Amino acid sequence: MSLINKVSKSRDLKVWEGEFPVQYLYTCGIAGEVFFREIKDNGKLKGLRCHQCGKVYVPPSIYCEECFNRLDEWVDVGNQGHLYSFTQSHLDRVGKRREEPALLGAVNMDHTEGVLIHRLGEVEFSELKIGMRMEVVFKKPSERKGSILDISHFKPLE
Amino acid sequence: MHMNVHLAGTALSDRDIKEGKVLYTEWKPRAMYAWDAGTAISRFLEGLRNGIILGTECVKCRRVMLPPRIFCELCYRPTEKWVKLKDRGRVRTFCFTRVRCDASRVEEPFFPMVVELDGGKGGTGLFHVVKGMDVSEMTVGLRVKALWKPPEERIGAITDIENFIPE
Repeated sequence: MSLINKVSKSRDLKVWEGEFPVQYLYTCGIAGEVFFREIKDNGKLKGLRCHQCGKVYVPPSIYCEECFNRLDEWVDVGNQGHLYSFTQSHLDRVGKRREEPALLGAVNMDHTEGVLIHRLGEVEFSELKIGMRMEVVFKKPSERKGSILDISHFKPLE
Repeated sequence: MHMNVHLAGTALSDRDIKEGKVLYTEWKPRAMYAWDAGTAISRFLEGLRNGIILGTECVKCRRVMLPPRIFCELCYRPTEKWVKLKDRGRVRTFCFTRVRCDASRVEEPFFPMVVELDGGKGGTGLFHVVKGMDVSEMTVGLRVKALWKPPEERIGAITDIENFIPE
């Protein structure tokens, strides 16, 4: 067989299959540590405030994007905000079709900079509107582990 | 010149993580790959499964290529001919190592080497490993032969040859 002949049987072609052993462990960082502990232990959202421009970052950042100040003044930001953007997802992260589409949104907490991206619940897709008032719903204290999933979802404010 | 640089950051140890002193998220992504062996290597690997070592020959410069390639990069033309090589030959070059690829130590040193197999036309080297030799006995030009895995254990891989041993 000359090598420029057409290959007609797929078993004549081999693929070499393998798997790279990769894993990672990602710490929440200085600001994330306080933020998630506060959610886990007290069911509260906190942000970092810049003393110069007064902006409050949620999720917290240890630097002010405007003033480049190092931030360490933690403030309570309450449970309410507004829906900045939303979508519904018909596929899960491996590409499989979900039985029910998941509602996902970006919520900007009141008087803060930044958004929390999370699931939206207790609402239909058709009812969602950009700008609508939203409220955070935490999991029960016993179910919290110190992660963003300690927030169960956001729901429209009654 | 001494530079007084303040390095920002927070040092963490394994213990801090294990004892849950800091919050973290961890994941093992499944990073799978499938490498297309191509026409020449596919046939070469299939040959190994059957206990045969196949190379290709360029009919113009008469070179035998191993592992086989579908074109001669010197004459810049397709290789037309398949050649069966013997599973024995001479060590062309070698080194020895006392560690595995994960840097763990082995009891007996082994010799990654290039073997020039009989039936080639010179300059035909297969990269493999010689085992079962003392460091002082190993030389360039040493006659070696392939130690094949039993047929039922072969899968069509370069490791179907366990290693080479002195002839």
